[in-house]
Amino acid sequence: MSNLEETPGRNDRPDGDRAEEEATEADAFPGESEVAADDRKSRDEREHLTEDVEKDDARKIVTGEARYTADYRDRFPELAEGKVIRSEIAHGYVRNIDTSEAEAMDGVHAVITPWDDVVPDKAYSSSGQSYPEPSPWDLRVLREHVRYVGDPIAAIAATDTETADRAARTIDVEYEELEPVLDPEAATDPDAPQLFDPDEVENKQRGADYERNLESHFEGEQGDVERAFDRMDDDRVIETEWETPYQSHCVPEPHTTIAHMDEDDRYSFITATQVPFHTRRQIAHLFDVPIRDVRVTKPRIGAGFGAKQEMAIEPIAFALHLAADQPVKLEMTRREEFYALRFRHPMQMRMRTAVDEDGTLEAMELYTLSNSGAYGTHGMTVANNVGTKPLPLYPRVPNVRFEGDVVHTNLPMGAAMRGYGAPQGHFAVESHMDEVARRLDFDPIEFRKRNAVREGDIDRNVTILKDGDRFSRKIRSCGLRECIERGKEAIGYDDLEQPAEPHRNRGVGMAMIAQGSGVAGRELGAAQIKMNEDGSFHLQVGGVDTGTGSDTMFSQVAAEVLGCEPTDIVVISSDTDLTPFDYGAYASSTTYISGQAVKEAAEDARERLVHWGSKMLDEPVENLKTGDEQVYSEVTGDGVSLEEIGYEATYGNDDREHILGKGNHSTDESPPPYGAQFVDVTVSEETGEYEINKMVFAADCGVAINPALVEGQIEGGEHMSLEYATSGGLEFDDEGNPEVLGFRQYGMPRTTDHPPMETIIVETHEPTGPFGAKSIAELPTNGVPPALSNAIRDAVGVRVDSLPITADDIKRALDERDD
Amino acid sequence: MQLEIELNGQQRTFEAEKSDVLLDVLRRNGYTGSKRGCDTGACGMCTVQIDGEPAMSCVTPAAKVAGSTVATIEGLGTQSDLHPLQQAFVDNSALQCGFCIPGMIMRSKALLESNPDPTETEVREALADNLCRCTGYKKIVEAVLDAADRMNGEKTVAADGGESRCDELPSSCPCEEGRSK
Repeated sequence: MSNLEETPGRNDRPDGDRAEEEATEADAFPGESEVAADDRKSRDEREHLTEDVEKDDARKIVTGEARYTADYRDRFPELAEGKVIRSEIAHGYVRNIDTSEAEAMDGVHAVITPWDDVVPDKAYSSSGQSYPEPSPWDLRVLREHVRYVGDPIAAIAATDTETADRAARTIDVEYEELEPVLDPEAATDPDAPQLFDPDEVENKQRGADYERNLESHFEGEQGDVERAFDRMDDDRVIETEWETPYQSHCVPEPHTTIAHMDEDDRYSFITATQVPFHTRRQIAHLFDVPIRDVRVTKPRIGAGFGAKQEMAIEPIAFALHLAADQPVKLEMTRREEFYALRFRHPMQMRMRTAVDEDGTLEAMELYTLSNSGAYGTHGMTVANNVGTKPLPLYPRVPNVRFEGDVVHTNLPMGAAMRGYGAPQGHFAVESHMDEVARRLDFDPIEFRKRNAVREGDIDRNVTILKDGDRFSRKIRSCGLRECIERGKEAIGYDDLEQPAEPHRNRGVGMAMIAQGSGVAGRELGAAQIKMNEDGSFHLQVGGVDTGTGSDTMFSQVAAEVLGCEPTDIVVISSDTDLTPFDYGAYASSTTYISGQAVKEAAEDARERLVHWGSKMLDEPVENLKTGDEQVYSEVTGDGVSLEEIGYEATYGNDDREHILGKGNHSTDESPPPYGAQFVDVTVSEETGEYEINKMVFAADCGVAINPALVEGQIEGGEHMSLEYATSGGLEFDDEGNPEVLGFRQYGMPRTTDHPPMETIIVETHEPTGPFGAKSIAELPTNGVPPALSNAIRDAVGVRVDSLPITADDIKRALDERDD
Repeated sequence: MQLEIELNGQQRTFEAEKSDVLLDVLRRNGYTGSKRGCDTGACGMCTVQIDGEPAMSCVTPAAKVAGSTVATIEGLGTQSDLHPLQQAFVDNSALQCGFCIPGMIMRSKALLESNPDPTETEVREALADNLCRCTGYKKIVEAVLDAADRMNGEKTVAADGGESRCDELPSSCPCEEGRSK
């Protein structure tokens, strides 16, 4: 094996004008000036950070008192149950819907079709993204032109679910069928059936060509990739191909919403959403009402994982409500979740790299073909992330090219799903890098370390698809090497014991992982804190707790600043009437963006606390600190409690003040958290059957504010990643009919399917994050597929390049090898 | 029809349709702790105990439970006085969105009643029909093993004349002494 040393930084290269380059770089990073005053705290100085504070909703969850959307039915004595009628064909037009029998039934309050006045006829995107959405407006609430089996075409409101179901069975739909196209490669053929007339779509995205079913084409390059490949010996240019399937979010709580008009005739929703404010804006747009007349309330939510970064069902529920003139609950069935709602995009990827004799990457090129399914929600942006998440693992590669096509087919729609393109991208990039190392006789881990990102690197790969340098980033925190070293040790990389049977082989694979912390330049979080007279606080924050525990994290951040206990803070989150604005819970943004807004709000309130403390203690502000539920002087040791301040400020004889604080956070920064996923596997060379012995994930998420919650994110993310690698996927017949319709057919891992997992948190300090924090939510969804593919390669010398990895795939590869 | 059951220790009578499953009756009457995750008996989020046995209430016809004893999450501890299983889930951070948790706890309760000292493998096998999407099951399995220890600890306390074991237990021990520490 070659002896590898880490490569120098791009800035240190002898070719190129260093001084000039540095000057340009300094100018190119406005984020540099944004770095807040150093809030780094040693472990001893932390009061409520790096603490396993009890999740604030834990007790009501374990007693069954936590209320999710469907649990609010008791507030609405007249609540009707909704039911959606869905297309039974993959492509065509609905020519007639006979609703007469349903409408005549007792207990049926309303039946709506695309032609009803209460059903908006505008184009929109269901993607919960900032305005204007980087997704095409190609949806209608109910669809005359249907493009997959599952498209909503009509809906019913009835007194109960059973009546709604019976009524649904009487609906008679006449279709004019069109030829469907199910294969993304075939879809771009000029003779392929066309899903959209270009006139049917507004807000088209980059590179759209609807005559070829192209929702988007994009490309970007740095350096000169072709020249780099040409210069390199052929045997040092390696190309590989990868394929990934559909994945279901399997949200525990199916999409559910209650639509009603409040007593002031405002359009009101209690709804399971990750994006209350985007939903409010989109409802206002669709129903043509002012934003002030829409209220979206998120109760406890049975997780989202991106499935609820969508206004998937709210407009249907509201149209039903308008038709029935009574509150309507629309709750999806599990069957609908498995064929009609939202999924991870299937993709085909191609990766090519050039590596010099020393093991330095000279060029890399990635291409992805994404199957967007029938509609374009998150289509382009997910495909963008296939490159812009994993390629930044290698920021010093001088020649980089990334290109993608996002194609429509008559299958269910891909959308946002935890990881957001990064799981697909990491499978291609990190399996490829392992393969390259093995073919060129380098140790796969040393090869990675030689080329991998380090603190101080300038990462332009993240911005490869954008014009200009605005979103290039300086890497200010990177614990990747420590993740690798500690992961190696935990998995026993250097002393793996082989099984006694000669046909069983054991191997270990590793994948490096990166994600982001929010969408650079496309985030806004806001928070407001108000003090109560007894020294407690109400924190109003737009950030959306989807079950992750972000409300608890917010209380820890605020308490650390204010000097109170986290339990002294009542967190009111994500109600568009009651809380400041927030883009929502997606893109791993909640700690980094919304958490920073909370910190700023707390600092704002703290300034007023200190002002009152100064007055009451007769001490200058500079001497004062907050902590132990008081404001105290570092000089005299005297203190005044937050409660005394609260009463004095509220009821004092002289001037009075309601102590308030507000915080607003937006930034061009999106620092990557890093991780290393290890998988230890034993493979049978006779059958291809494999068993995962252990998985280790080591994560650098900056400072972990609540390590227990961070571990929960890692272990849950690995669960999804394990499914993606080993057991998930949807199947369809050749007419586009879904064949996986429930948990029994879909391979979601159970308690007995999980190998032992070890979780390691590596601390770094991210100077742009709240108390040094980055993100964690999506990072761990990216690692198992490449780490498992690499482990199998290590064990038996064959490469599996498609997911989920089955014993048959391995057996086939072994047979090919032996032929 | 009228459905008479003993629910969480109380004799109750509910109105029910013939087509109702037990989950419908429970949820309609305010027992919303049991969740509707699939309505096909494939996810375990509606798990309750019927005559002590774990059962998926979404596929149990209401008529079939007439005269039975039914236990739901609402019959366990309260937020200020949690059952040791609930306390163990809280202390082990064995929950995230929480939608599967009432079913998980009821399934675990049935396990610990029949097998008070299970191995990790036995816990995993007992919970294999209860799906969780958030946690990767690791902390859930740890919580059930921890609960078993706590509940066995309580028994030891009673059996040996009340000597406190709280020095050996986390500060969140369900007994009063433990909690006050």
